[in-house]
Amino acid sequence: MGLLTLVMIAAVCGVLLETTIFHLLPLGPVMPDLVVILCVYLALREQSVVGALGAFLLGYFVDSFSGDAIGLHAFAMSLIFLLVYLLARQLWMDNVVANVAVVFAASLLKALSVALLLVFYLSADYPWRHLVSTVWIEAAIAAAFSPFVFSVLDGGRRVWGLD
Amino acid sequence: MSEFLRRNQVLLGSGVFLLLSLVLLTVNRGRVRRFDPLGAVFLEVLRPLQAVTTQTTGALGNLWTRYVSLVGIDAENRELKLRLRSLEAEHRRDAEIELENRRLSRLLDFQGDVPSQLVTARVIAKDASGLFQSFTLDRGEGSGIKPGMAVVCADGVVGRIAQVSPHASRVLLISDHNSGVDALVQRTRARGIVEGALNRTCSMKFIKRGDEIDVNDVIVTSGLDGLFPKGILIGRVSRVTRKDFGLFQVAEVVPAADFAKLEEVLVLKSPPREVNAAIDALERARATPEPTATPTPEPTPTPPPAVRRHGTPPPAPRASPAPAAHSPPAARATAAPAPRPKPHA
Repeated sequence: MGLLTLVMIAAVCGVLLETTIFHLLPLGPVMPDLVVILCVYLALREQSVVGALGAFLLGYFVDSFSGDAIGLHAFAMSLIFLLVYLLARQLWMDNVVANVAVVFAASLLKALSVALLLVFYLSADYPWRHLVSTVWIEAAIAAAFSPFVFSVLDGGRRVWGLD
Repeated sequence: MSEFLRRNQVLLGSGVFLLLSLVLLTVNRGRVRRFDPLGAVFLEVLRPLQAVTTQTTGALGNLWTRYVSLVGIDAENRELKLRLRSLEAEHRRDAEIELENRRLSRLLDFQGDVPSQLVTARVIAKDASGLFQSFTLDRGEGSGIKPGMAVVCADGVVGRIAQVSPHASRVLLISDHNSGVDALVQRTRARGIVEGALNRTCSMKFIKRGDEIDVNDVIVTSGLDGLFPKGILIGRVSRVTRKDFGLFQVAEVVPAADFAKLEEVLVLKSPPREVNAAIDALERARATPEPTATPTPEPTPTPPPAVRRHGTPPPAPRASPAPAAHSPPAARATAAPAPRPKPHA
């Protein structure tokens, strides 16, 4: 539960950055997604029901500050948690390269699941150009940020005595 | 059994949360008032942080720009520089106050022209993802804001309230690809639906192929969607696409409001039907300066068309621009090009 609290605090900081600071950067429609890194971190470090709850809450938190469909990101984050958890049971994931690759794939998976839910479940319009053009850049930025975020969270765990 | 549950607790837990997400999506599908037990709490938690961060980054941005412009001054002028700095700081404060004063004055002018109860709110944050386009406002239920209310600024339409908490609310912008506003071409009264596009512009769809529309035409709200009062400026046509086939033509619309620089907005608390009735009264008063013996019939209220949201199909295009006999607002929009109290054009 301590790790969940730590991740939720990080999520507050991440969403705060995304909603205020990142819009000042000359990135156009590209929005670095920090929350997906936290979701992957949870799936790798907290492999329990609490971790699944954390992933759901992360998605719900993003839903509260993005778009108008509640449950969209919650579904995407829960799906990412589940798939990364299953992957981590099969492969050795305790190295930086694997973490970066998983965050990259998770970011793409999130965008794809959101697009599919919008189109096939909510019958809403989806700008497919977004998926083709900017999602790759967003995934690359998330992957580039992931070692830093992972090390900050690991440091937080040590400080809080959660190891 | 318990051993099975224990071994597969993560899989089962994830399954439950995936199901819960789908339940939330299903329950909120097509609803203006959402079932969102935690959303208001999250909004409230982040609101003060967002307000402080936005103010601080604005101040730091100004400071940085000014500092860079002062780096090249000669050391011999240090004394003058100090004085200059203090004067500049004062000037910056004054300029900021003056700009704010101008913005608020424009809002007040606008407020005076729209006969509706309005709430002024500041933009404190933007959307958390690049996919959607929304703003967080520093006013919420405590100021009487409710989901579905229209949001405008002095330049025109901004969007509609998607979510509220006691002291904050979120606006889905008209440039979001899930927004839809019933609109009119001001010059020719051609009808269509203005929808958002991801490139921060909008497109006006379902314009009848035979209707006249051209680049630079002004697009205003029709008032028929039950959200926005009639005649509020949406934007200008930047391109018209008419294919060789099909019933409709599409126009690209550049929103009048600059969403990147928006700092204050107005939330319309009165239902659009009341606002439209008040606008009608104003128009009638202007059209007939002397009182006549014949009483003017009151417009019959018509049920507003469904607001376009997730899960609902786009509003059906009207077969004819001619007003239906039972629909006075449509008649106003199509047949009577009467001047609006605030034409914005």
